[in-house]
Parts: sequence; C-alpha cells; structure tokens
Amino acid sequence: MIVAGIALLVGIALGLVLRPTVPGWLEPYLPIAVVAALDAVFGGLRAWLDGIFDAKVFVVSFVSNVTVAALIVFLGDKLGVGSQLSTAVVVVLGIRIFGNAAAIRRHVFRA
Amino acid sequence: MSTQPPPKPVESAQLLVDLVNNHLDPGYAAAAERRGPDAAPRWYDRPAVIVGCLLSGFILVVAYIHTHRGAPEATRVHDSLVTRVRAAQQAGDELANRVADLERQLSAALPKSGPLAKNLDLARLQAGLVAVSGPGMSVTLDEPPQPTASPTPGRGGTTGIGATNILTDRDVRSVVNELWRDGAEAISVNDIRLTPTSAIRFAGEAVLVDFQPITPPYEIRALGNPDVLSTNFAQSAVASRYQTLKGAENIGFSFTDEQQLTLPASASVKVRYAKVAHK
Repeated sequence: MIVAGIALLVGIALGLVLRPTVPGWLEPYLPIAVVAALDAVFGGLRAWLDGIFDAKVFVVSFVSNVTVAALIVFLGDKLGVGSQLSTAVVVVLGIRIFGNAAAIRRHVFRA
Repeated sequence: MSTQPPPKPVESAQLLVDLVNNHLDPGYAAAAERRGPDAAPRWYDRPAVIVGCLLSGFILVVAYIHTHRGAPEATRVHDSLVTRVRAAQQAGDELANRVADLERQLSAALPKSGPLAKNLDLARLQAGLVAVSGPGMSVTLDEPPQPTASPTPGRGGTTGIGATNILTDRDVRSVVNELWRDGAEAISVNDIRLTPTSAIRFAGEAVLVDFQPITPPYEIRALGNPDVLSTNFAQSAVASRYQTLKGAENIGFSFTDEQQLTLPASASVKVRYAKVAHK
C-alpha cells in the first residue's frame, strides 16, 4: 500500500519534471485516459479495502480500460460521433469512480 | 405456445443496474475467488502495482500540465498584442515628435520676413501645418453616462451598434461642418487638427479622425470670432438637434466661448497629385 502511494507520487513528480508535450493526435484521448486512470486507482483502493486486491487485475483493468476507451473514441471520431462517445465513456467511468469513492468512504469512516 | 416472458428487457435493465450499483471491477472478486483466501504473493504483484500507480500519477499530471499550458498561451498572445500596440503608439509619438522637430528646423530655415514669408505662413496656417492659437469656442459631445443598451428581449447578439453607441462619426462630422459654416478658421477634434484633407470616419464603433481613433468625450475646438461663432452655432439646426438628444437620450452636449485656445499642428497633409497650376 505504501509502495503504491510512493509510486503514485513518483509518477506525479516524473510528470512535473519531464513536462512532456502531448502530441496533437493524442489530445482527444487525454480526458479518457485521465478518467480511466482515476477509475483504476479508486477501484484498486476499494478492492484493497475489501481485501480482494489483485495486482494483475489492477494493471490489466487499467490498461484495458484506457485502450478500450481510446478505441471507442477513436472509432467514434472516424464515424462522426467522437465527442458523444467520449462523453459516454466519461459518464460510465465517472459513475464507477463515484460509486467506488462512496464505498471507500464507507470503509474508512464506517458511515 | 410459450408462456415464458421475454428476458430481454430485464437483461438490458440489468446492465443499467450493474452500472449504477456494481462499481468494482468484477475481476477483483473473480481473482480473489480463484486464488483462495490465503494465496501466496506472486513475484509480479509489487512491480505491477508500482507500474500501475506510476502510470496513473503520470497521466494525471500530464493532463493537468496540458490543460494549464493553454491558458498562459492565450495570455501570452494577449500580452504580445498589447506590447505591439504600445510599441506602435510609441513609434507614432516618436514620429510626431520628429515631425515637430523638423517643422522647427524648417521654420528656422525659411525667411523670417518679407511678402514671401507672409504668404507661406498664411498658407501653412490654412493647411493646418502649424499650431495656432487665438479666441474661439469649444463644443463637447459625450456618450450618456450609462450606456442605454439594456439587455433587450430577443436573441442574443442582435443589439445593433446604434443601441450601444449613440454618437457616431456622423455627429462629430455634423458639428465640425456646422463650425466651418459658422466661420471657424481652424478646428481640432480631440486634439487632432483638421486639415483640408481630413476625414472623419468610423471603423466598427470607433470614430476615426485622419485614421486616428478617438473616444468620447469628443471635444471639438474651433478658432474664430467667439461671438459670431457661438451665436451662429447656438442658432443652428445641429445645436438644437443635440440639445434635443441631450434631453431625450441623456448625451453630454455643451459649448462655450473660449478666449484663448491653442490647436496643435497636423502632420497628415500629403499632397501627392495636385500641383500648382501656373498661370
């Protein structure tokens, strides 16, 4: 758990130090990646609190979420419904994030 | 034949119920069940968590930086525009100073007395090339204190220019023309001297005098016999129109006699095609 927190901080520091420029073609997928990353983090935290955390599931779900979400948006862009599908992905993942955050809250505060 | 209800609506509704109620990836529960309660840690557990958290933090920060990099960009563009405008204004001022300087040199080089000097002085005065002073009058036109453009009912963006700015180039021009008619010998608008080639025009909502934008209040100063000027002006249709507008639309309008006015010189007379016709 501590290792995960440190890794998160190191990732943040890495981003701050490297300050990578996002290439233009990747720009539409950035919000999707952000929401998927948040979903993975909250999901992992909740699973850990539930006592069923699994590193493999954590990483695989994270990568596959980002990939599938990006694919959906990519396909939508090609078919002219990119922004709508992007909204759909954000809504679905957002609901999950919110639900997981609520579950974490119940674990932590017992309320 | 079949009494079984169609399962489809229930299934599709289940999708929504799952979406709202089961937030956790089912993979966690499945993996926990598969591995049993006391599974030994695998070698890749820790690196996988580290890589996943590293990636998450990295993505979040990249998104943050990417989002906030755009804002300074807009500020930078705005700042550079402001700098360019300032630089252009400064360049204009410097050029005007240079013109004044050259004018001084020119007048020093020209003959000081004699009929030629007199003729030249008169011509330059009439052309607005030298600063002049003397008695006269000044007329001030101003927009109403609060713009009368209250949010009009209807579609946004349909408020016309006339609804926000009451005074336009036409008003300044009509006052100037009236003053010429009343016997003015030299006129300046917001300290821009009018010459025989001056034009009062508009661009968007701005009033331009010789392509220099001016903003309200518009102060029009005219040299001439103060009594004749102000009497004629007070009786003119133009003055009565702006008196009416002052009552109706609350614009600022006033005119006074002046015993001593100084009008600046203009640098904008450029005669390129007209030549003196020799008799």
